[in-house]
Amino acid sequence: MEKERRISEYHMVDVSPWPVMTVIALMGILIGMIEWMHGMGGRILMMGVMSMLMSMYGWWRDVIREGVLEGSHTGKVQEGLRSGVLWFIFTESMLFVSIFWAYYHSSLSPSVELGGVWPPRGIRVVEVWELPMLNTLLLLLSGVTVTWSHESMRSGEKEEMEKGLGITIILGIVFIMVQGYEYYESEFRITDGVYGSSFYMGTGFHGMHVLLGVIMLSMGLIRSIRGELTSEHHVGLEVGIWYWHFVDVVWLFLFVSIYWWGGV
Amino acid sequence: MAEDGENDGMEIKLETAPHDPRFQTTNQAKHCWSRYIEYHACVKQKGEEDSECQKFKRWYKSLCPNEWLENWDEQRASGTFPGPV
Repeated sequence: MEKERRISEYHMVDVSPWPVMTVIALMGILIGMIEWMHGMGGRILMMGVMSMLMSMYGWWRDVIREGVLEGSHTGKVQEGLRSGVLWFIFTESMLFVSIFWAYYHSSLSPSVELGGVWPPRGIRVVEVWELPMLNTLLLLLSGVTVTWSHESMRSGEKEEMEKGLGITIILGIVFIMVQGYEYYESEFRITDGVYGSSFYMGTGFHGMHVLLGVIMLSMGLIRSIRGELTSEHHVGLEVGIWYWHFVDVVWLFLFVSIYWWGGV
Repeated sequence: MAEDGENDGMEIKLETAPHDPRFQTTNQAKHCWSRYIEYHACVKQKGEEDSECQKFKRWYKSLCPNEWLENWDEQRASGTFPGPV
């Protein structure tokens, strides 16, 4: 088969509507959030979110087509994609840095309104060694299964890889369900002072990231089943796995800081 | 001052709560809080007339904004005071 002559090792992309659509969607979400939070309805927000979802679908679909069908993803391009995701994970870590900063600011020197103690007077904390411990074990185990899956991928064992990935995804979904149950049974809400705020901001954003990770890993599994991945070339899966480890690490920080140190 | 006509020969001593090394910075909110708690713990243990308790009372009255004191007295009366009293 004759290979098309490449102009460069880098990918000169074709004209695409997705970047500008993303930007317009984001503006819609920004304005929509303001409208919604001021009790003026949620139509603009809904339009923004839908446009965003369509843009995400379209853009990533095109990236996959360019990689699989066009063959544009040379080694250099793969490096670029990977480092791009690494930088993204870095920015996500910064989000959690800000959340943990806020948490420690309030909890290291609890104000007089809280009774000068942490957890604040009147807050009935979640029992650390029950559901939170279970969640920790679930995520740690999922870290093992995802590594098993990745190693199998690299040695070409497709079936083992898919098994490991499947188990990881299931563990992730169980985590989300356990966390949802914990929220349901919880005796405090986000509006319950600075404790409630920091607890739900921290665990809430984390939960959203677990969901994102589950979606990324599921995409990897689906594409593997369809035969689109090779043992050498599976950037989408790789970055999903990195994201998963990131989510795991954030949980460990949450567990130690908020549940354990902050609860006793 | 000797010329002060309102002075009955008694000296007016102006003092405030002494420096407490537990509270080094400009924000003395915790200092006020601690003295308030200490006064009430003292009264619980030794009764209101005790001189040590009166000392704590003078100190917290000096340090704390009156608004806070009203608030806290109300909270103690209604059982919603967050402190260890």
